[in-house]
Amino acid sequence: MKLRILIADDHELVRRGLCALLKDHEGWEICGEASDGREAVEKAAQLKPDVVILDVGMPNLNGLAATRQLSRQDPRCKIIVLTITDTDQVVQEALDAGARGFVLKSDAARDLVSAVEALQRNRMFLTPRVNDMVLAGFLDRGHHASTGETPELPKLTPREGEVIQLLAEGKSSKEVACLLNLSTKTAETHRSNIMRKLGFHSIRDLVVYAVKNNIIQVQMPASARDVPGPTA
Amino acid sequence: MTIRILVVDDHPVVRHGLRTLLGGRPEWEVIDEAEDGLEAVDKAGLLRPDIVVLDVSMPKMNGLEACRLIRKTVPTCEILFVTQHDSPQMMREALSAGARGYVVKSNAARDLLAAVEAVSQHRPFTALNGHSSADSR
Repeated sequence: MKLRILIADDHELVRRGLCALLKDHEGWEICGEASDGREAVEKAAQLKPDVVILDVGMPNLNGLAATRQLSRQDPRCKIIVLTITDTDQVVQEALDAGARGFVLKSDAARDLVSAVEALQRNRMFLTPRVNDMVLAGFLDRGHHASTGETPELPKLTPREGEVIQLLAEGKSSKEVACLLNLSTKTAETHRSNIMRKLGFHSIRDLVVYAVKNNIIQVQMPASARDVPGPTA
Repeated sequence: MTIRILVVDDHPVVRHGLRTLLGGRPEWEVIDEAEDGLEAVDKAGLLRPDIVVLDVSMPKMNGLEACRLIRKTVPTCEILFVTQHDSPQMMREALSAGARGYVVKSNAARDLLAAVEAVSQHRPFTALNGHSSADSR
Protein backbone atom coordinates (compact mmCIF):
# COMPACT_ATOMS: atom_id res chain seq x y z
CA MET A 1 0.00 0.00 0.00
CA LYS A 2 1.23 3.48 -0.87
CA LEU A 3 2.48 5.94 1.72
CA ARG A 4 -0.04 8.80 1.77
CA ILE A 5 1.37 12.31 2.19
CA LEU A 6 -0.49 15.54 2.95
CA ILE A 7 1.33 18.84 2.22
CA ALA A 8 0.47 22.11 3.99
CA ASP A 9 2.01 25.46 3.06
CA ASP A 10 0.33 28.81 2.49
CA HIS A 11 2.26 29.41 -0.74
CA GLU A 12 0.99 27.42 -3.71
CA LEU A 13 4.36 27.89 -5.40
CA VAL A 14 6.08 26.10 -2.50
CA ARG A 15 3.41 23.36 -2.46
CA ARG A 16 4.06 22.79 -6.17
CA GLY A 17 7.77 22.54 -5.45
CA LEU A 18 7.26 20.10 -2.58
CA CYS A 19 4.90 17.96 -4.67
CA ALA A 20 7.46 17.94 -7.50
CA LEU A 21 10.11 16.68 -5.07
CA LEU A 22 7.98 13.82 -3.74
CA LYS A 23 5.56 12.75 -6.45
CA ASP A 24 7.91 10.54 -8.45
CA HIS A 25 9.07 8.51 -5.46
CA GLU A 26 7.94 4.94 -5.84
CA GLY A 27 5.38 3.89 -3.28
CA TRP A 28 4.38 7.43 -2.25
CA GLU A 29 1.35 9.47 -3.18
CA ILE A 30 0.34 13.07 -2.41
CA CYS A 31 -3.17 12.54 -1.06
CA GLY A 32 -3.95 16.21 -0.44
CA GLU A 33 -2.80 19.79 0.01
CA ALA A 34 -3.76 22.49 2.50
CA SER A 35 -3.06 26.23 2.57
CA ASP A 36 -3.18 26.75 6.36
CA GLY A 37 -2.96 24.75 9.58
CA ARG A 38 -6.71 24.57 10.13
CA GLU A 39 -7.30 23.15 6.66
CA ALA A 40 -4.46 20.67 7.27
CA VAL A 41 -6.11 19.38 10.44
CA GLU A 42 -9.48 19.07 8.69
CA LYS A 43 -8.03 17.33 5.63
CA ALA A 44 -5.96 14.98 7.78
CA ALA A 45 -9.13 13.89 9.61
CA GLN A 46 -10.77 13.22 6.28
CA LEU A 47 -7.88 11.73 4.26
CA LYS A 48 -6.00 9.85 7.01
CA PRO A 49 -2.47 10.51 5.63
CA ASP A 50 0.53 8.56 6.92
CA VAL A 51 2.76 11.64 6.80
CA VAL A 52 1.91 15.34 7.03
CA ILE A 53 4.44 17.97 5.93
CA LEU A 54 3.64 21.27 7.64
CA ASP A 55 5.06 24.75 7.19
CA VAL A 56 5.48 26.57 10.52
CA GLY A 57 4.45 30.06 9.40
CA MET A 58 0.87 29.72 8.18
CA PRO A 59 -2.19 31.95 8.74
CA ASN A 60 -5.23 31.06 10.88
CA LEU A 61 -3.49 28.16 12.62
CA ASN A 62 0.29 27.97 12.50
CA GLY A 63 2.19 24.76 11.83
CA LEU A 64 3.16 24.18 15.48
CA ALA A 65 -0.42 24.46 16.74
CA ALA A 66 -1.56 22.25 13.84
CA THR A 67 1.10 19.68 14.81
CA ARG A 68 -0.34 19.55 18.34
CA GLN A 69 -3.85 19.03 17.05
CA LEU A 70 -2.79 16.43 14.48
CA SER A 71 -0.82 14.45 17.07
CA ARG A 72 -3.88 14.33 19.33
CA GLN A 73 -6.27 13.61 16.48
CA ASP A 74 -4.28 10.72 14.99
CA PRO A 75 -1.20 9.59 16.94
CA ARG A 76 -0.37 7.20 14.07
CA CYS A 77 0.17 10.13 11.69
CA LYS A 78 3.81 11.27 11.41
CA ILE A 79 4.60 14.93 11.08
CA ILE A 80 7.50 16.74 9.40
CA VAL A 81 7.83 20.42 10.22
CA LEU A 82 9.22 22.74 7.55
CA THR A 83 10.66 26.01 8.73
CA ILE A 84 12.75 28.92 7.54
CA THR A 85 14.67 28.98 10.82
CA ASP A 86 15.83 26.33 13.28
CA THR A 87 15.99 28.46 16.43
CA ASP A 88 16.07 26.56 19.72
CA GLN A 89 12.55 27.63 20.56
CA VAL A 90 10.94 26.51 17.28
CA VAL A 91 12.71 23.16 17.43
CA GLN A 92 11.72 22.60 21.05
CA GLU A 93 8.09 23.50 20.39
CA ALA A 94 7.89 21.38 17.25
CA LEU A 95 9.26 18.30 18.98
CA ASP A 96 7.10 18.87 22.07
CA ALA A 97 4.07 19.21 19.80
CA GLY A 98 4.77 15.77 18.33
CA ALA A 99 6.77 16.44 15.14
CA ARG A 100 9.16 13.63 14.23
CA GLY A 101 10.91 15.34 11.36
CA PHE A 102 12.42 18.79 11.13
CA VAL A 103 13.57 20.21 7.79
CA LEU A 104 14.77 23.71 6.91
CA LYS A 105 12.98 25.12 3.88
CA SER A 106 16.30 26.11 2.36
CA ASP A 107 17.42 22.47 2.56
CA ALA A 108 14.11 20.86 1.60
CA ALA A 109 15.22 19.92 -1.90
CA ARG A 110 18.12 17.98 -0.37
CA ASP A 111 16.54 16.65 2.84
CA LEU A 112 12.81 16.18 2.37
CA VAL A 113 12.91 12.80 0.63
CA SER A 114 15.35 11.50 3.29
CA ALA A 115 13.06 12.86 6.01
CA VAL A 116 9.98 11.07 4.65
CA GLU A 117 12.01 7.87 4.20
CA ALA A 118 13.19 8.09 7.82
CA LEU A 119 9.66 8.54 9.15
CA GLN A 120 8.47 5.69 6.95
CA ARG A 121 10.97 3.50 8.81
CA ASN A 122 9.65 4.83 12.14
CA ARG A 123 12.76 6.92 12.72
CA MET A 124 13.11 10.63 13.39
CA PHE A 125 14.75 13.04 10.96
CA LEU A 126 16.61 16.04 12.33
CA THR A 127 19.21 18.27 10.72
CA PRO A 128 22.68 17.89 12.29
CA ARG A 129 22.34 21.28 14.02
CA VAL A 130 18.94 20.36 15.44
CA ASN A 131 20.29 17.01 16.55
CA ASP A 132 23.04 18.77 18.54
CA MET A 133 20.50 21.22 19.92
CA VAL A 134 18.17 18.46 21.08
CA LEU A 135 21.03 16.65 22.80
CA ALA A 136 22.22 19.87 24.48
CA GLY A 137 18.67 20.65 25.58
CA PHE A 138 18.26 17.16 26.99
CA LEU A 139 21.45 17.49 29.00
CA ASP A 140 20.51 21.00 30.09
CA ARG A 141 17.08 19.87 31.27
CA GLY A 142 18.77 17.20 33.33
CA HIS A 143 20.92 19.92 34.90
CA HIS A 144 17.90 22.14 35.65
CA ALA A 145 15.94 19.24 37.07
CA SER A 146 18.74 18.50 39.49
CA THR A 147 19.23 22.13 40.53
CA GLY A 148 15.59 23.25 40.40
CA GLU A 149 16.43 26.17 38.07
CA THR A 150 13.72 25.58 35.45
CA PRO A 151 12.10 28.97 34.82
CA GLU A 152 8.31 29.21 35.27
CA LEU A 153 6.53 30.25 32.08
CA PRO A 154 2.83 31.10 31.89
CA LYS A 155 0.91 28.07 30.65
CA LEU A 156 -1.62 28.68 27.89
CA THR A 157 -4.10 25.99 26.89
CA PRO A 158 -4.00 24.77 23.26
CA ARG A 159 -7.27 26.65 22.65
CA GLU A 160 -5.73 29.85 24.05
CA GLY A 161 -2.80 29.27 21.70
CA GLU A 162 -5.21 29.24 18.75
CA VAL A 163 -7.00 32.36 20.01
CA ILE A 164 -3.75 34.28 20.52
CA GLN A 165 -2.69 33.64 16.89
CA LEU A 166 -6.03 34.85 15.50
CA LEU A 167 -6.03 37.97 17.72
CA ALA A 168 -2.44 38.75 16.76
CA GLU A 169 -3.42 38.42 13.09
CA GLY A 170 -5.87 41.27 13.73
CA LYS A 171 -9.12 39.31 14.03
CA SER A 172 -11.88 40.55 16.35
CA SER A 173 -13.39 38.40 19.12
CA LYS A 174 -16.41 37.91 16.88
CA GLU A 175 -14.24 36.65 14.01
CA VAL A 176 -12.30 34.39 16.40
CA ALA A 177 -15.60 32.98 17.66
CA CYS A 178 -16.78 32.33 14.12
CA LEU A 179 -13.53 30.61 13.04
CA LEU A 180 -13.37 28.38 16.12
CA ASN A 181 -17.10 27.64 16.36
CA LEU A 182 -17.42 29.34 19.74
CA SER A 183 -19.83 31.92 21.10
CA THR A 184 -18.50 35.49 21.08
CA LYS A 185 -18.70 35.47 24.87
CA THR A 186 -16.45 32.39 25.09
CA ALA A 187 -13.95 33.96 22.68
CA GLU A 188 -13.91 37.09 24.84
CA THR A 189 -13.35 34.96 27.94
CA HIS A 190 -10.36 33.28 26.25
CA ARG A 191 -9.04 36.70 25.31
CA SER A 192 -9.30 38.08 28.85
CA ASN A 193 -7.77 34.87 30.30
CA ILE A 194 -4.80 35.22 27.94
CA MET A 195 -4.33 38.89 28.85
CA ARG A 196 -4.51 38.07 32.57
CA LYS A 197 -2.18 35.05 32.44
CA LEU A 198 0.46 36.91 30.45
CA GLY A 199 0.02 40.19 32.32
CA PHE A 200 -0.82 42.14 29.14
CA HIS A 201 -2.71 45.42 29.05
CA SER A 202 -3.08 45.95 25.31
CA ILE A 203 -3.40 44.02 22.07
CA ARG A 204 -0.01 45.49 21.13
CA ASP A 205 1.60 43.48 23.97
CA LEU A 206 -0.12 40.39 22.63
CA VAL A 207 1.12 40.97 19.06
CA VAL A 208 4.70 41.47 20.27
CA TYR A 209 4.44 38.21 22.30
CA ALA A 210 3.05 36.36 19.25
CA VAL A 211 5.91 37.55 17.04
CA LYS A 212 8.61 36.82 19.65
CA ASN A 213 7.25 33.32 20.22
CA ASN A 214 6.86 32.43 16.53
CA ILE A 215 3.08 32.19 16.83
CA ILE A 216 2.85 34.53 13.85
CA GLN A 217 5.56 35.49 11.41
CA VAL A 218 5.95 39.00 10.10
CA GLN A 219 7.45 39.83 6.74
CA MET A 220 10.20 42.37 7.17
CA PRO A 221 9.79 45.57 5.17
CA ALA A 222 12.02 45.59 2.11
CA SER A 223 14.15 48.42 3.50
CA ALA A 224 15.12 46.29 6.51
CA ARG A 225 16.19 43.33 4.41
CA ASP A 226 19.07 42.70 2.09
CA VAL A 227 17.81 44.90 -0.71
CA PRO A 228 19.83 48.07 -1.10
CA GLY A 229 18.41 51.20 -2.64
CA PRO A 230 19.12 52.25 -6.21
CA THR A 231 22.76 52.01 -7.16
CA ALA A 232 24.70 54.21 -9.50
CA MET B 1 9.32 29.26 -31.44
CA THR B 2 10.51 28.05 -28.06
CA ILE B 3 10.77 30.64 -25.30
CA ARG B 4 13.95 29.94 -23.33
CA ILE B 5 13.68 30.71 -19.61
CA LEU B 6 16.28 30.99 -16.84
CA VAL B 7 14.82 30.49 -13.33
CA VAL B 8 16.55 32.29 -10.44
CA ASP B 9 15.70 31.87 -6.73
CA ASP B 10 17.83 31.02 -3.70
CA HIS B 11 15.32 28.38 -2.50
CA PRO B 12 15.49 25.11 -4.46
CA VAL B 13 11.90 24.25 -3.49
CA VAL B 14 10.69 27.49 -5.05
CA ARG B 15 12.74 26.76 -8.20
CA HIS B 16 11.06 23.32 -8.35
CA GLY B 17 7.67 25.02 -8.00
CA LEU B 18 8.45 27.51 -10.76
CA ARG B 19 9.68 24.74 -13.05
CA THR B 20 6.48 22.77 -12.43
CA LEU B 21 4.30 25.77 -13.23
CA LEU B 22 6.27 26.69 -16.36
CA GLY B 23 6.42 23.06 -17.49
CA GLY B 24 2.73 23.19 -18.38
CA ARG B 25 3.52 24.98 -21.66
CA PRO B 26 5.33 22.89 -24.29
CA GLU B 27 6.52 26.03 -26.11
CA TRP B 28 8.43 27.18 -23.02
CA GLU B 29 11.72 25.64 -21.97
CA VAL B 30 13.46 26.15 -18.64
CA ILE B 31 17.05 26.07 -19.87
CA ASP B 32 18.76 26.42 -16.49
CA GLU B 33 18.55 27.62 -12.90
CA ALA B 34 20.59 29.96 -10.71
CA GLU B 35 20.57 30.39 -6.94
CA ASP B 36 21.82 33.96 -6.57
CA GLY B 37 22.12 37.16 -8.55
CA LEU B 38 25.76 36.68 -9.44
CA GLU B 39 25.14 33.24 -10.92
CA ALA B 40 22.10 34.65 -12.75
CA VAL B 41 24.21 37.34 -14.43
CA ASP B 42 26.86 34.78 -15.44
CA LYS B 43 24.34 32.31 -16.82
CA ALA B 44 22.29 34.96 -18.60
CA GLY B 45 25.46 36.20 -20.37
CA LEU B 46 26.38 32.67 -21.37
CA LEU B 47 22.97 31.22 -22.29
CA ARG B 48 21.21 34.40 -23.50
CA PRO B 49 17.69 33.35 -22.42
CA ASP B 50 14.56 35.10 -23.70
CA ILE B 51 13.25 35.56 -20.15
CA VAL B 52 14.81 35.51 -16.70
CA VAL B 53 12.36 34.75 -13.87
CA LEU B 54 14.09 36.50 -10.98
CA ASP B 55 13.69 36.69 -7.19
CA VAL B 56 14.50 40.00 -5.43
CA SER B 57 16.05 38.96 -2.09
CA MET B 58 19.01 36.68 -2.73
CA PRO B 59 22.53 36.22 -1.36
CA LYS B 60 25.71 37.48 -3.05
CA MET B 61 23.83 39.83 -5.39
CA ASN B 62 20.18 40.81 -5.08
CA GLY B 63 17.74 40.60 -7.96
CA LEU B 64 17.57 44.36 -8.63
CA GLU B 65 21.31 44.61 -9.21
CA ALA B 66 21.26 41.40 -11.28
CA CYS B 67 18.41 42.81 -13.36
CA ARG B 68 20.39 45.97 -14.18
CA LEU B 69 23.45 43.96 -15.21
CA ILE B 70 21.53 41.43 -17.29
CA ARG B 71 19.66 44.18 -19.13
CA LYS B 72 23.01 45.82 -19.87
CA THR B 73 24.76 42.67 -21.13
CA VAL B 74 21.78 40.99 -22.86
CA PRO B 75 19.37 43.80 -23.85
CA THR B 76 17.02 41.38 -25.67
CA CYS B 77 16.41 39.43 -22.48
CA GLU B 78 13.23 40.31 -20.56
CA ILE B 79 13.13 40.17 -16.76
CA LEU B 80 10.11 38.96 -14.79
CA PHE B 81 10.36 39.37 -11.01
CA VAL B 82 8.65 36.75 -8.82
CA THR B 83 9.05 37.98 -5.28
CA GLN B 84 7.56 37.93 -1.80
CA HIS B 85 7.58 41.75 -1.72
CA ASP B 86 3.96 42.78 -2.16
CA SER B 87 4.96 46.44 -2.30
CA PRO B 88 4.35 49.20 -4.87
CA GLN B 89 7.70 50.75 -3.91
CA MET B 90 9.60 47.55 -4.67
CA MET B 91 7.64 47.13 -7.89
CA ARG B 92 8.67 50.63 -9.00
CA GLU B 93 12.32 49.85 -8.20
CA ALA B 94 12.10 46.63 -10.19
CA LEU B 95 10.63 48.37 -13.23
CA SER B 96 13.22 51.16 -12.94
CA ALA B 97 15.93 48.50 -12.94
CA GLY B 98 14.64 47.34 -16.32
CA ALA B 99 12.16 44.58 -15.49
CA ARG B 100 9.15 44.05 -17.74
CA GLY B 101 7.05 42.07 -15.25
CA TYR B 102 6.41 41.82 -11.51
CA VAL B 103 4.47 39.05 -9.75
CA VAL B 104 4.04 38.36 -6.02
CA LYS B 105 5.08 34.85 -4.94
CA SER B 106 1.86 34.18 -3.04
CA ASN B 107 -0.04 34.70 -6.30
CA ALA B 108 2.48 33.05 -8.63
CA ALA B 109 0.28 30.03 -9.32
CA ARG B 110 -2.43 32.43 -10.54
CA ASP B 111 -0.31 35.06 -12.31
CA LEU B 112 2.90 33.43 -13.54
CA LEU B 113 1.69 31.97 -16.82
CA ALA B 114 -0.06 35.19 -17.89
CA ALA B 115 3.01 37.18 -16.88
CA VAL B 116 5.43 35.02 -18.90
CA GLU B 117 3.02 35.13 -21.84
CA ALA B 118 2.95 38.96 -21.74
CA VAL B 119 6.66 39.45 -21.12
CA SER B 120 7.59 37.01 -23.90
CA GLN B 121 5.81 39.43 -26.25
CA HIS B 122 7.66 42.36 -24.65
CA ARG B 123 4.47 43.59 -22.97
CA PRO B 124 4.50 44.68 -19.30
CA PHE B 125 2.72 42.63 -16.65
CA THR B 126 2.51 43.75 -13.03
CA ALA B 127 0.40 42.24 -10.27
CA LEU B 128 0.33 43.06 -6.57
CA ASN B 129 -2.21 41.51 -4.18
CA GLY B 130 -5.66 42.59 -5.22
CA HIS B 131 -4.45 44.51 -8.26
CA SER B 132 -3.03 43.38 -11.54
CA SER B 133 -2.41 45.13 -14.80
CA ALA B 134 -1.32 43.75 -18.13
CA ASP B 135 -0.81 45.87 -21.17
CA SER B 136 -2.79 44.08 -23.86
CA ARG B 137 -1.44 46.08 -26.79
